[in-house]
Amino acid sequence: MTLPIALRLALRELRGGLAGFRIFLACLALGVAAIAAVGSVRMAIEEGLSREAASILGGDAQIEFTYRFADQAERDWMAEKATEISGLVDFRSMAAFADGSGETQRALVQVKAVDGAYPLYGRVELAGGGSLAAALATRDGLPGLVAQRILIDRFGLERGDVLRLGTQDFRLSDELLVEPDAAASGFGLGPRVIVLLKDLADSGLLTEGSLFDSSYRLRLPPEADLAALRDEARARFADTGLQWRDRRNGAPGLSRFVDRLGAFLVLIGLAGLAVGGVGVSAAVRAHLEGKTETIATLKTLGATGGTVFAVYLAQIGLLSLAGIALGLVLGAGAPLVAAPLIEARLPMPAAFGLYARPLAEAAAYGALTALIFSIWPLARARDIRAAELFRDLTAARRAWPAPRFVAATLALAGLLVGLATWLSGAPELALGTAGGVIGALLLLLLAAHGLRRLARRVARGRLARGRPALRWALAALGGPSGETASVVLSLGLGLSVLAGVGQIDSNLRGLITRDLPARAPAYFFVDIQNDQLEGFLETAWAEPGVTAVETAPMLRGIITRINGQPAREVAGGHWTLNGDRGVTYAATPPPGTVITEGAWWPEDYAGPPLMSFAEQEGRELGLMLGDTLTVNILGRDLTATIANFREVKFETMGINFLMTVDPAALAGAPHTHIATVYAEPEAEAPLLRDLADAYPNITAVRVREAIEKVASSLEGLGAATRWGASATLLTGLVVLVGAAAAGVRRRVFESAVLKTLGAGRGRILASFALRASLIGIAAGGVAILAGGVAGWAVMVLVMDGSFRFEPVSALAIVAGGALASLLAGLAFALGPLSARPARVLRARE
Amino acid sequence: MSSPVIALKDVALTLEGNAGPVKILRGITLDVARGETLGLVGPSGSGKSSLLMLMGGLETATSGSVTALGQDLTAMGEDALARFRRTHMGVVFQSFHLIPTMTAIENVATPLELAGDPRAFERAAAELEGVGLGARLDHYPAQLSGGEQQRVALARAVVGEPAILLADEPTGNLDGATGEAIIRLLFGLRDRHGATLVLVTHAPEVASRCDRVIRLRDGVLERYAEAAE
Repeated sequence: MTLPIALRLALRELRGGLAGFRIFLACLALGVAAIAAVGSVRMAIEEGLSREAASILGGDAQIEFTYRFADQAERDWMAEKATEISGLVDFRSMAAFADGSGETQRALVQVKAVDGAYPLYGRVELAGGGSLAAALATRDGLPGLVAQRILIDRFGLERGDVLRLGTQDFRLSDELLVEPDAAASGFGLGPRVIVLLKDLADSGLLTEGSLFDSSYRLRLPPEADLAALRDEARARFADTGLQWRDRRNGAPGLSRFVDRLGAFLVLIGLAGLAVGGVGVSAAVRAHLEGKTETIATLKTLGATGGTVFAVYLAQIGLLSLAGIALGLVLGAGAPLVAAPLIEARLPMPAAFGLYARPLAEAAAYGALTALIFSIWPLARARDIRAAELFRDLTAARRAWPAPRFVAATLALAGLLVGLATWLSGAPELALGTAGGVIGALLLLLLAAHGLRRLARRVARGRLARGRPALRWALAALGGPSGETASVVLSLGLGLSVLAGVGQIDSNLRGLITRDLPARAPAYFFVDIQNDQLEGFLETAWAEPGVTAVETAPMLRGIITRINGQPAREVAGGHWTLNGDRGVTYAATPPPGTVITEGAWWPEDYAGPPLMSFAEQEGRELGLMLGDTLTVNILGRDLTATIANFREVKFETMGINFLMTVDPAALAGAPHTHIATVYAEPEAEAPLLRDLADAYPNITAVRVREAIEKVASSLEGLGAATRWGASATLLTGLVVLVGAAAAGVRRRVFESAVLKTLGAGRGRILASFALRASLIGIAAGGVAILAGGVAGWAVMVLVMDGSFRFEPVSALAIVAGGALASLLAGLAFALGPLSARPARVLRARE
Repeated sequence: MSSPVIALKDVALTLEGNAGPVKILRGITLDVARGETLGLVGPSGSGKSSLLMLMGGLETATSGSVTALGQDLTAMGEDALARFRRTHMGVVFQSFHLIPTMTAIENVATPLELAGDPRAFERAAAELEGVGLGARLDHYPAQLSGGEQQRVALARAVVGEPAILLADEPTGNLDGATGEAIIRLLFGLRDRHGATLVLVTHAPEVASRCDRVIRLRDGVLERYAEAAE
């Protein structure tokens, strides 16, 4: 029977208006909106990837080989299964353009050499609107080529200009706008160009040992069983280095990235919701304090504590529904409205729409947060006694609500964390975020408590003597109003999230540049043929400004077995097992090699193959000395025994191989060489010109450009994170404004009394400003600590990178926090300052 | 002699203040008979309102016992007291304490609704008719004058036909004429419902209407006299 009455009373009570609930609604709506928006975008991308899986992959299924083309048996099998096949090759090369001034410009490009069937799914879009087949056709003896805008701009090309790949000239026929299978192609260091595979026959680029991937896209009959076909292909061509992908998950790396980023942003959103929760709690507390007389009256009329709890729980429930609904409308609507903008920036398809799952998830988070942060003040309201109608018994109320309410709060918090852990798909990250938020809240509570005690102490000390503005500020901070705790908590939690994101962002930006060695090579050169090596070295050393040249034989292979067992069964999804890895051979340890375990083979060793493996990766794979590793190189298996582990520091940017074998193991295997050239900056351009002129088939990767490209791809990650954090900042500001507004009535009274006692407005304003600044500094101080710990945890524990505390970002956060607190405090001080004391004091009587 | 409706035995009330404990009431022993009207008078701060609140279970005695209708109020919890008041008591305050977000009829119906009365609104409307506010049922407290608000509060106090009616300076916030009208109404309602009335007042002419008057000074009963004398 209680509930219908409670509901009726709650509805009647709401007639007083929602003025006191603006902050409540804003906090809840913002938090829910942020999570709903992130979830909706994530869902749109997943749906887009799923709907266009065949286009993205370029076929219903794809079979890929490293370094080689399919052999006849493989081709026959594909022809038997597929209704149509499209074969293509993807590799890096140098494009050269003689611009007529006698100078030849060169740039690294990502070449896709296709057949006439490409693309099986989707459509290549060209700026001229024509077909790809027409654009690639040979005219006037020159085969066609299409290129992305970035290359056209860089060289200042016009249609019809002649470009050279290796030793083959091509005619630029059009600009490439859309490449349907771009998203699955992965990260490329140079702009994309597309040519016909047959036109590369005389280019000298696709010789034995060249670094290229060949892939065959299959159009399969509708009834084809993808899983069965995959299993059949893997079984029939086991250990040939065949890699299978199909439309069920055409771009697994991309899906994983979207999932991880989505989970990360949802968790930032959850941290934002926790900030909003502090605002919710403050709003509910303020509302219920204003209802003390009504609650006491209800108790006088016979309402039990349970009825009072039910009345206001129903009220908060109704308001929560309104806040959540508002948040869902915003969160679902914003991505729809911004869809064209988001799509333009996304490197993948997205199907924007209304998706129930992310909205339900956001609603559940919102409802749980509202409940968690409302139970405490509701339980305290339940304890209001009828006697409060004629006597202020606030101080006599117990500080903690009844144990069952504490238990309920903890249970709901556990449920929220559990839900986030389950739904985010990133349990460690979710638990870490929850731990971080709870830790930050506890730290902030301690800081608020410490600040109050310190303020009380200093207010009575010598420092405050003769400084009334300071003493009033300190007295207000140390007083019983509870404003200090509320503002420190809300502002501090918001700033902690921001500081954490700031530290992560700064560290991500610094990750590449910071970890660069003081002496990085200027260029990597790949695809140096055996007969070119000597000449290459001579040309390089002849260049003034070249300080060092290192070379190594270069092959690539896929680790297929560990101790005879399929590698993935032994070591799961370790990165070294995804695709092909570099392999080299050496008779003696290369200079600077540090062997951590085992011994190098004799220089003239000719026994069964031996291998030296990277120490850290070996440990992660669970490898021991004496274990065997089977590596598929050029379609042939090489099984080697691990003779030693050595230290490999990939971040030195020098020549680093995961695997080195004894020379006899690879005797006769066709291969090329890789070289790193260290040079003064002014020597870089002539070095490239001379080497590229002499050896057109060689590909040069300018290290500085590669770093910039990787850094710019990380910039997108940083931008997404900053967007996520901005919702938290907005919630923090709303909570801050709410807290400042809640204290206005108290400040009006203080101001009136102080004026009566002879204080000028300037001094009162100074006191208010001091109070706000001190709170801001305390909250900011905790935020630096909490943000630093959060940044360290994400960088070191989640991203497996290094962490360096970034003081500029941290100080900016504290200064911003203090300033925001100060501005909010001052904005809400103007009213109290202009109020006439007599009216204020009379109204109070 | 029938058992008293309200009985206080050696009651003391001490509250904790910032400067230490404050003794509000000391050694109060008092019986209120069924149907009696009792006036509580005394200077400000003498403990009149506190004594009334002890009788209503709105305050808990530090020592001694308070029984109402044979039930020991000092042994009851907050919720049990609320349920007891819902059934047996009506309280009128100097500041009316109407719920500002509820109309007159909703204010009056609330105790009946809390008691689960399905005819809460019909009875509330009848009671408001009885106090002359039949045309003001849907007015909010802010739309009513002080006298009208107090009449709503009176209707709310008696609508459940309580055995005990407690009034804490019901005319304290009203002008003389309105106060007089409210007192007439209060006594009229009491007569109609046959309740026991305990009334705190500063006004001698109001106290003089009571069957018995008790004077308090510094938390102690000073003397009491039969009003009829």
